[in-house]
Amino acid sequence: MRRRASLVLLSLAVFFAALAPVLRWYAFPRLVRIPPGQYQETVLEARPATLLRYDTMRAEQVEKVTIVQTLKGNVEESERIERSTGRDVVVWDSLSHVQGPDGETVSQIPGRYIFDGHTQEPVHAPGETVDGDPVRREGIEFKWPFLTEKRDYVYFDAQTRTSAPIHYKGTRTFRGLEVYYFEQTVPWTKVPYPEKMPIPGIDAGTLEERTGTTRWYTTTRMFWVEPATGAPVNGEEIHTEELRGGSLLGGRDRVTAFSGHVRMREDYVDRTVAQVSSQRGLVLLLASHLPWTFLGLGTGLLALSLLLEARSRRPGGDGAPAPGAGGAGGAADREPGPA
Amino acid sequence: MRALVAVASGLVPVLLVVLLLAVLDVPPGETSPRPLLTTVPGPVK
Repeated sequence: MRRRASLVLLSLAVFFAALAPVLRWYAFPRLVRIPPGQYQETVLEARPATLLRYDTMRAEQVEKVTIVQTLKGNVEESERIERSTGRDVVVWDSLSHVQGPDGETVSQIPGRYIFDGHTQEPVHAPGETVDGDPVRREGIEFKWPFLTEKRDYVYFDAQTRTSAPIHYKGTRTFRGLEVYYFEQTVPWTKVPYPEKMPIPGIDAGTLEERTGTTRWYTTTRMFWVEPATGAPVNGEEIHTEELRGGSLLGGRDRVTAFSGHVRMREDYVDRTVAQVSSQRGLVLLLASHLPWTFLGLGTGLLALSLLLEARSRRPGGDGAPAPGAGGAGGAADREPGPA
Repeated sequence: MRALVAVASGLVPVLLVVLLLAVLDVPPGETSPRPLLTTVPGPVK
């Protein structure tokens, strides 16, 4: 009986011990990934902000500037690119829509970001663009990989169309969640004008060539990232843009086009924190809790199985023959004594 | 021999899990009909 029980326990021990790495390194990358059809919008505000009035070409302080950042998963495109690359691809069509205090459009920058839905690595395919310009992203954008590590990452900057390190600056607590804080400063860099400008009829492509006025930008971006999901639960930017030189400024050296501390609107922070809190449990279950539990269970059952096996082989056990018993039975062979 | 059978019977269901995961695919869903460009949304409910 003990021997049969030990074999059953051995079988269960092997099952749980083998299932643990399968869950962590096979099931987790396949099951935990960004859904290709996800749609999300985030509203950010700079209160107050400095904004250039293009009719007077003077910068003035305004109550607020709003940025609506939309990310829309393009399922048809992701399936098309998956067929050619053989990877789990997510395609995000994005739009940064900037509005002035009266709701008028300040600028719009569309883009297409193609990446691996689990590792967050960029996938290069035709159609990868920022504001109509073909780009080749290196590193991450918008989101960190699942199980984010305490290290610097390479982050793509859509304004400069280049990638640079975003530095891990420590672990913080944000609204009850443990998060990793990342920060990146983009130094003053000449950047192209957005295709969509606040003045109708302006051809952004030839504006610099015709006027000699160039657009410059610097920013410090900050992200508070929940490490299990890799999702930023908060983001801020201290962002400044200038126009420099040329005939557009009427002899002035430089004019501020935008300056402000951009923060996520409170209701969007609340919603993001709630979403991430509900998702992180599932990620941790598959990546950590279940594998470790199963590994512990497998080890425990194996120990129990070996213990039962050892007891069944001892004299008096019901398994293998006892030394010196001379038979195949053990206790059962010795029991019937003479009458 | 019995121990080997026990080990094998523990590994078979794990192999089935692996095969199941290889065959099954998470449905991709559909592209949202919502537009990329929206006016500034009101408070999130």
